[in-house]
Amino acid sequence: MVDKVRWHTRAGIAATALIGAAGLTACGSGGGGDDGALSMVVWGGDAEKETYQQRIDLIEAENPDIEIELQLIPSDQYAQKVQTMIAGGDGPDIMQVAENVNSYSSKSQLLPLGEHIDSSGLDMEQRFGPVADLYAYEGETYAIPDRSGAMVVFYNKDLFDAAGIEYPTAEWTQEDAHAAMEQLTVPGEQWGYGGAGWWAQWWSFAYQNGGQIIDDSGRPTANSPEVAEALQWANDLAHVDHVVPTPAEYADMGPDVGGDQAFAAQTVAMNTTGFWGIIGLAEADFDWGIAPMWQGEQQAVSGFGSGLAITRDSENPDKAFEAIELLTDVEAQQVLIDNALDVPANLEVQQSDAFLHPEWAPEDLNMGAFGESADFILRAPFIPEWNEMMAAFDDNLGTFWNEGGDAQTELDKVQTQLESIIE
Amino acid sequence: MTTTVDEAPGAARPARRAGRRRTKMSPRRRKEALYFWLFISPWLIGFVGFLLGPMIASVYISLTEWDSFTPPEWVGLENYAKALTEDPVFWKALWNTFYFAAISVPLGLVIGVWLANLLNKQVKGRKLFRTFIYLPTLVPLVATAMVFKMVLAPSGPLNDLLGWVGIDGPEWLLSATWIKPALIILSVWGAGGATVLLLSAMNGIPRELYEAAEIDGASPWRQFWAVTFPQITPVIFFNLIMGLIGAFQIFSQVYILAPGGNVGGPDNASQMMVTLLFQEAFSFYHFGYASAVAWLLFIVILVFTLIAFRTARKWVFYETEVR
Repeated sequence: MVDKVRWHTRAGIAATALIGAAGLTACGSGGGGDDGALSMVVWGGDAEKETYQQRIDLIEAENPDIEIELQLIPSDQYAQKVQTMIAGGDGPDIMQVAENVNSYSSKSQLLPLGEHIDSSGLDMEQRFGPVADLYAYEGETYAIPDRSGAMVVFYNKDLFDAAGIEYPTAEWTQEDAHAAMEQLTVPGEQWGYGGAGWWAQWWSFAYQNGGQIIDDSGRPTANSPEVAEALQWANDLAHVDHVVPTPAEYADMGPDVGGDQAFAAQTVAMNTTGFWGIIGLAEADFDWGIAPMWQGEQQAVSGFGSGLAITRDSENPDKAFEAIELLTDVEAQQVLIDNALDVPANLEVQQSDAFLHPEWAPEDLNMGAFGESADFILRAPFIPEWNEMMAAFDDNLGTFWNEGGDAQTELDKVQTQLESIIE
Repeated sequence: MTTTVDEAPGAARPARRAGRRRTKMSPRRRKEALYFWLFISPWLIGFVGFLLGPMIASVYISLTEWDSFTPPEWVGLENYAKALTEDPVFWKALWNTFYFAAISVPLGLVIGVWLANLLNKQVKGRKLFRTFIYLPTLVPLVATAMVFKMVLAPSGPLNDLLGWVGIDGPEWLLSATWIKPALIILSVWGAGGATVLLLSAMNGIPRELYEAAEIDGASPWRQFWAVTFPQITPVIFFNLIMGLIGAFQIFSQVYILAPGGNVGGPDNASQMMVTLLFQEAFSFYHFGYASAVAWLLFIVILVFTLIAFRTARKWVFYETEVR
């Protein structure tokens, strides 16, 4: 005879397990999509939410058959959340992608868009110019460029005038920049330049020297003489020439102060950053301007941007593509400028009067600097192991940036690590 | 009505079962059993669905290579072998975690006991001091970390203070040598949490013990070691176990104090076990490897907790215990 107590125990455990499992399954299959609306995820804060929603409203109004449900995820949780959504089989129809786009495309989580592009008659080259194939992987396009702006040089006109130096231009060489930094430095209180410790910054110099982080055949070349020279130059600006604040000096300025904040505080006379720097300076009480990045042996500068992709979970990829095409068309891209969110990837909009003379920018601001830079934006290696590559640099260059040192030695270590990451 | 008050009704009782097998349950007991399962079910479902299930799944995942998107690929013990023999970052993270736990836990306990002992004295404004000591525990970690970034700046207040006594302060968060001590300082900042528990334990010590000790001519120092300390050892032990588990799982502090957003930096000097496994899983898409690291961490914590429990018999004193 079965022991009742034991039977009850077993039944209880079994029931619990079942209910628990059911609960988990429910979590996995939840979410929208049944009502025909497209789901779209983007990262950012309130400004992004407002702008994307406005763009969606715009295309929805003109295309009644398109309905998009926007979901905004804070930037620092974006990758993790989207990853979980996709892994759970509940990926969004449309997702925003950037440097690590190929973490997804290489694992066939994104739909190749070639066919859609062909059948829709979208002329990528005409609409996006040099960034048209930015999100291509192994010959197939996985995302349509949506936002795309080069890094530019922000300079403090007041400080330049006081030092009697000409404003920066695209014709400046690294030597010109270096000379200006020296003249703009007042030891202990003012520095010529905000520094180049961020990959987007010092990679620009490496590519200007003719170097590459990953070569065209996909092999890492992070310790080539060109790259090492650029890294050494960038770091010596702080530790040898003292025309850039060292990390220790930045730490003394306050928590999380970097080039952008120091430029706004007039502590550094030049800073290289993206479009968002303009918004950060809206309240600035000094005169400033922007110019394209200076050059080395050749012109090169990092670009920032993002594209829109369709995940494999999309139930209606045709409609999703239609929506993306509309979102990157002139009218919807215009909202990016009107709201001062970012540089639109659509060339026509980038060259329009609305972009070159926006209401919110100081009247004489050279917005053309973005268009001018577009031609020499460097092709950063968007490898599937992008995050690991970033960590390889962080892992080995931490002390180098903080205390100075020999670039070649550190890059040799980076190179070894990259070789084991990229197989 | 005296049957089962502090005993889970319906729960199998080995002693009774060993003697005779019950063939029939009274309606009352059946009802009790039903209620038992009903009331325990929210916890059980949560435990099975959100803890036990994922734990079992992670054993399997740790034996595969899985990027969370494509089907997992069976690799056997390769992930464990990689962590233990190939990956220098794993050993660095393990060492960093040991370093942090080995210093922050005992230091936190010593400071906790010391503060509790001070706050137990009959001084003016005692309640106020008690509040102040506990206050840091209530401040959100992000806010604390922001303040610490300022305090630990190379020319910040702490280094100014050290300068007065002739010490040339380090660059703390920017230095591979000093970022771990900086994390320990941040953890000790929250010692007030332990203090409150210790304080309540001290309050529970019978006055007679001190009176007896005083009559015997014991000095305050002797009274502390002979009366106070043995009486609070259970709470110290509790704090030790909790502290060990917490220290081995240190995560948020590393993220928030990370110089320039370089988590684990500079040069992995502050890379801990949990930050490493988080990075491997959610940034590098190596879920198999991350799960293996998680299980290795589980074993480490288990070993240390067992050691703590084993040695506890020697120094933890329970009043009700008969020796």
